[in-house]
This record gives sequence, C-alpha cells and structure tokens, in this order.
Amino acid sequence: MVSARIEETTSELFADCLTAFHAYDDLDELAEDLRILSLNAELAAGRAGDKGRAVRSLTQYTRALVSRLAVVQADIIGIKSTTYATSAAALRRLGELHTLEQASAEMGAATSEDTQQSGRKALEKARAETLRDVSENLGQMIGGVHDLAASTGQVLEVVSQSGSIATNIAIEAAAAGQYEAEFRTVAETMRRYVGLLRDIIDKANAAVTAAGDKGSALQALAAAAIKAMR
Amino acid sequence: MLQCTTIFQRDGHRWMNFGQDTDKPGNIIDSNQLVMVDGGAAMLLDPGGAEIFPSMMAALTRHVGVDQVRHVFLSHQDPDVTSSLPLWRRVCSADLKVYIPWMWTGFVAHFDPDSRVTPIPDQGMDVTVGRIRLRVLPAHYLHSPGNYHVYDEAARVLFTGDIGAALLPPGSRSNVFVERFDTHVQYMDAFHRRWMGSVAARDAWVAMVSKLDIDIIAPQHGLAFKGEDVRRFIEWFGALELGSGLAAFEQVHHHA
Repeated sequence: MVSARIEETTSELFADCLTAFHAYDDLDELAEDLRILSLNAELAAGRAGDKGRAVRSLTQYTRALVSRLAVVQADIIGIKSTTYATSAAALRRLGELHTLEQASAEMGAATSEDTQQSGRKALEKARAETLRDVSENLGQMIGGVHDLAASTGQVLEVVSQSGSIATNIAIEAAAAGQYEAEFRTVAETMRRYVGLLRDIIDKANAAVTAAGDKGSALQALAAAAIKAMR
Repeated sequence: MLQCTTIFQRDGHRWMNFGQDTDKPGNIIDSNQLVMVDGGAAMLLDPGGAEIFPSMMAALTRHVGVDQVRHVFLSHQDPDVTSSLPLWRRVCSADLKVYIPWMWTGFVAHFDPDSRVTPIPDQGMDVTVGRIRLRVLPAHYLHSPGNYHVYDEAARVLFTGDIGAALLPPGSRSNVFVERFDTHVQYMDAFHRRWMGSVAARDAWVAMVSKLDIDIIAPQHGLAFKGEDVRRFIEWFGALELGSGLAAFEQVHHHA
C-alpha cells in the first residue's frame, strides 16, 4: 500500500530531523563558554593596556558572534516545534490513509449494489483528499529541513569567523610581551571551541543532507501516488 | 466480516445492527454499530473504532449509501465509539452532522481536530432523521459522566450504549437478540457492577425509561433485548448492586 511506503520514509525523515536537532544540543553551552572566554579575554586585554587594544576589539566581535548563535538556537527551537507538529499531522493522516486503503481492499471489487458503487467512489475521493493533505504536511516538513539547513549555514559562518578571530588573537599574542601566554591560552581555547562547533555542524549537516534526500524521495512518492489516483 | 441484522423495519423506516465480526482481532472489544434509516437519510449511532472502520464501511455500503448518512451520533467519548470519526467525516458528505456530548467535544478533538460538531446539552435534544424524530436522552454516569441514549418513539427502539452490554464468549452468539434472559445475565453481571458507578443515576435512568414504550433495547455490546426481555432487563439492572471497583479503596496499603 502506498501509505506504508510513505509512512516508512516519513518516519526516516523525522528521525533524520531529530538527529539534526540533537546535534545542536550542546550549542547553548558552547556559546556560553565562548561568551565567558571573550569576557575574560577582554579583562586580560584591559590589563595589557595598549598591547591589548586589538585583542579587546576581537573579543567584542566574538560576543557579537555569540549573540548570533543565540538567534540561530532560537530559530532551531522554532523549527523543532514546527517539525514535531507537521510530522505528527503527517503521521496521523498516513494512519487515516492506511485505514481507508484497508477499507477499499475489504470492499474489493464489489459493485453489485448502487450503495457499494457510491461507497467505492466515496472511498477513492477520501483517499485522494487524504493523500493531498499528507503531501501538504510533507511539504511543510521538507520546508523545515530547508530552514534547518539555513540555520546550519549560519552556524558555519560563525565558525569561520571565530576561527579567524582565534588566529588574529594568536598573532597579537606574539607582540604582547608579558601578556603573551595569557593571550595564547585565549587563542587556543577559542580554537578548541571552534573545533567543537565544527563537530556540531558536521553532525547536523550529515543529518540535514539525509533528510533532504528523503524529502525529495517523499515528494516523488506522493506525486506519483496522487497521479495514479487521478 | 460484520453481520447486518435488521431489528426493525416499517415503510422504509429501519434500524440495523452491524456486529458480530468474526474476523475482528481478539484484543479489540466487540461492538455493535447501529444505523437508523428513514426517508433517504441515515444516522450512524456509535459507529465504532478506527480498527473496524474498513469492516463497517464494507458492511454498511451493502445496504446504505454513504451519501445517505447525514448524522453521526456519539453516545460518549470511548475510543470504541468515537475513534473512527475522522474517517467517517472523510467518506460522508460535507454537511454531515456530528452529535457529541458537550463534555467531550474538546477531548474528541485530540484525534479529530478539524471536526465541527453539535454539542449535546445535558438534558438531551431532538434530532430529525428523514420523517422520524429521535429523542437524545440523558444517561449520565452510566458509565460516562457525559452520556446519552437515543429513543425512537415510532419504532419503540431505545439505543442504550453501554447499558445492557454483555461480553459474550467468541462463537457463542446464534442471534442478535437475547434468547434466554436468565442465562444471559452471567455475561452482563460483572460488566454492569464494575462500570456503572452511580446508584442515583441508575435509579433516575430506570425511572425515565419506565415511562417510555420500548419494544427493543439495543446496546453497543452484546445482544439486544426485545419483548418481555426489555422489562426483565430494566428490572434486573434496577436491582443490581453497583460500583464493585469501590472495594479497591479499602485494599490500598498505607505505608507507616
């Protein structure tokens, strides 16, 4: 039955979305670590006076990036909520479609009575409408996957810029005299956080890509099923 | 496959009982789905759970067109009564009227959020199907706190939901009506003692139905009662000790 195939792929798509959401579980904590690092670095830069001026600017820019991460995290929470709602709706409709298909099968080819013919027509119409609803729900789920990909792209930008900041702090450290060790520690810690952010991106990206593939397959399945019903 | 038995028929006015599904999975409670037809219109009464929708749809359409089904009545909120609602709304016409106890409208929305229903007020209401005026009567607390029965004065049929229900062993049915009341009691006794918790509600129900002219009592589970068995059932139920689940409160162990 077409509902069984769509249901299986929808469940797999939902599982990929969950994997992507879980990849971001540590984002809040990492962003907070980055924020605290930048505050401490700014204090150290203050103590360094002129030698810390550039580092001070870099730490303030780091906090701007942390704010961007907070916005992305809020977006992901919104996408998560929408994805749960649309996948619940899709799975509910798929359950209905499955039962309507069973009813069609149980009626078989029986059309000896006018009432049976009208019943078969009503079932076919109901199946087509339900399939269209399913297709709409799936479209919303796939929209969520695209939104998640966009959020992942934004985190990647933060990763890239944070990496550059870490490099520049390391460069400034070389000329910081007695503050060199302190600034190097900041740069190395920041590089470690950037590495952790890259891990998050890699996991999320893999899941979003898999979800995107499933989404394309689902759209094709649903379109073929609707065409077959016509 | 669900069996269809016409339990009343006169001049196009019919009551049909769809039940006794021999193919039903064993873990799903057996249920009767009642259909009243008159003048080209039909009402489904407690149309059953989602699991039996395919069987019910196949059985119903041998006798009644889905385009004739204009009304769906839900006596209370249980899933064996209500969970097929979104499916019936898909196959029936867009102007299908759905009658649900006012108490349960928000709960039924959990599995059918798009349904537009007619809430039944506490005192009940009248619904016209074809030429026939049906009276929706209160039966609260028997067992559900928001619960209704349907009385067809012209046919002298009373649909009673879970009152009169019997849990019969598989393969023991030979008829849709009770044949021997005295041996049928064993299949009703434990159910009514446990599920019906209010003596006051039971007494009020007995007083109400005793004023009605009833030839057939049709429950949602088990066999229907006709003729003298209607009086026998009402008397039996009126004298039954209810609320067997209350004993559980005395068995609670309190830690020192």
